[in-house]
Amino acid sequence: MQGLSSIGSQLVDLCSALLLLTCFAIVAQRRLSACVDLFALQSAFLVITAALVAYLTGNQHIYIAAALTGVIKVIIIPRVLKKVIDRLNVKRELVMYINVPAGLLICGGLVMLAFFIAQPIIPFGFLLTRDALAIALAIVLIGLFTMIARQKAVTQLVGFLVLENGLFLGATAATYGMPLIVELGVFFDVLVATLIAGIYTNRLQDAFDSVDTDRLTVLKE
Amino acid sequence: MLHAITIIVAQTTVLLAISPFLVGLIRKVKARLQLRRGASVLQPYADLAKLFQKQPVISTTTSWIFTATPYIVFASILTAGLLVPTFTSQTPMNFAGNIIALVYLLALSTFFLILAGLDTGSAFGGMGGSREAIVASLTEPAMILAIFAIALTNGSTNVSTIVHKTALLEGIVTDPSPHLMALAALFIVALAETGRVPVDNPATHLELTMIHEAMVLEYSGRYLALLEWAAGLKLAVFLSLIANVFAPWGIATTVTPAAMAVGLLVYVVKTAALAVSIGVIECMFAKLRLFRVTDLLGVAFILALLGLLFFYILRS
Repeated sequence: MQGLSSIGSQLVDLCSALLLLTCFAIVAQRRLSACVDLFALQSAFLVITAALVAYLTGNQHIYIAAALTGVIKVIIIPRVLKKVIDRLNVKRELVMYINVPAGLLICGGLVMLAFFIAQPIIPFGFLLTRDALAIALAIVLIGLFTMIARQKAVTQLVGFLVLENGLFLGATAATYGMPLIVELGVFFDVLVATLIAGIYTNRLQDAFDSVDTDRLTVLKE
Repeated sequence: MLHAITIIVAQTTVLLAISPFLVGLIRKVKARLQLRRGASVLQPYADLAKLFQKQPVISTTTSWIFTATPYIVFASILTAGLLVPTFTSQTPMNFAGNIIALVYLLALSTFFLILAGLDTGSAFGGMGGSREAIVASLTEPAMILAIFAIALTNGSTNVSTIVHKTALLEGIVTDPSPHLMALAALFIVALAETGRVPVDNPATHLELTMIHEAMVLEYSGRYLALLEWAAGLKLAVFLSLIANVFAPWGIATTVTPAAMAVGLLVYVVKTAALAVSIGVIECMFAKLRLFRVTDLLGVAFILALLGLLFFYILRS
C-alpha cells in the first residue's frame, strides 16, 4: 500500500507539473487559437489529476467533478472561445505589455514565490498531494499575471480560466475536493462567466473595432 | 586497462559510424513526410567519402585558425562524445571529466567555429558567427541548469554515474517532475545546438535563415567533410545524452559481450527513434524568426530553472 500511494503521489506530482508546463506554454504563446488549445490541454491534464486523486483517495464525488471538468473545460469552453476568435478575425496577439522572455522570467519568479509561500504548509499536508498545493498556487499566480500582461480580451479570459484551473487543482490537492454542490456551483459560474466574457468581447469588437481593453479607458459620449 | 582501451575504441567507432546515419535518417523522415522519396539513409556516408577526396580550396586572407578549426571542432566534439555513455554505462573516459566538462567541450567547438567564420572576412561568416554567438549564449545557461537538475536528483555530476544509477533503478525517479522539466529543456537545447529547424535550417543556403551553414560556407574538401561529420557527431552526442539520461533501460551495466551487444542494439534503436521524432518536429514547425529564437530558448531556460526548483522544494 505504501508503494502504491508513493507511486500515486508521484503521478499526481507529474500531472501537476504538466499543468504548470502548459501554463508556461500559454505565457510564451502569441497565437490566440493556440492559447485556447493549450488551455484545453491543460484542462485535460487537470481531469487526469482529479481522476487520479479520486482513485487514490476513494472519494467518488471527485470523479463527477473530473467528468464535469472534461465536458466543460476541455470541450465546451474551448469551442465557445474558438467561435469568438473566428468572429473577431484576429489570429495573432501582437500586442503585449511585457515581452515573452521577460514574462517567462516573471512567471519563474512567481513559481518561486508560490513555493516559498506554500513551504510552511507542505509538512502539514496529506502525503498524497502535498506538492500539488504549491503548484496550484503557482498556477493561480500565473493566471493572474496572464490577465494583467495581455492586452486582448480573449487572452485575458484564458488567463482567468487558467486561474480557475489552479483553484480547482488547489481544492483537489488540499482538501481532496470541495463538497459536490460547491463544485457544481463553481463550474456553472465559470461557464456563465466565459459566455458573458465571450459576448462582452464581441460587443467590444463592435464598439471599437478592436478587442484591445486599453480602449475602454477612453470615455466617449 | 586493456578492457578500457577496447571500450574507448568501440565507443569512438560507434559514435563515428552512427552520426552520418542519424543525419540521413532525419533527412529521409522529412522527405517522406513531404511526400518525397528522398535520398538513401546512407547518403551522408557517400557525401563524406566524396568530400574527403576533394582538394580543399582556402582563401588567401585566412590565418592558421581557419585550417586548425575543423580539427579542433572534430576533436572536441568527439571527446565530449566519449564522456557520454552510449551502449555501456561504464564510460571509459569518465575519470577525465563530468557533465560540466562535456558542456564546455561543446562550447569550445562552437567558439572555434565562430572564430573561423570571422577569420575568412566574408560577410556571411561574420553574420553566421554573430548569430551562433546569440544562440550559444542563450543555450548554455539553459543546458547547465537542466544538467544540474538531473545531477541533483542523482547526487552526481558524472554522466556515467547518473546513467548507471538510473539504469539500476537506484535513487532515481523518486520525483519525475524535475526530470520532466529537464528533459523538455534539454530537448529544446539540443534542437538549438545542433541547428535544427525551429532555430536553424540545415537544408538551406539562404542568408536569411542560415546560422551554421553561414559559418562553414568558405570550407571545402576534407575540412568541410570534418565539419559536417562533427555536426553529425554533435547530434549523436545530444541524442545519446537525452536517450541515456532519461531512458537508460537496456544499456549494458556490466562489461560482458552479451550485455554489450544488447546495449548496442538498444542504443541504435533509441537514437534512431529520437532522430525520427526530430524529423517529425522539423516537418511540423516553421523556422522561427531569429529574434523569436530568444523566446524559445527563454522557455528552455525557465523549464530548466523549474526543474531545479522542483527538486529543492519538493524534496525539502
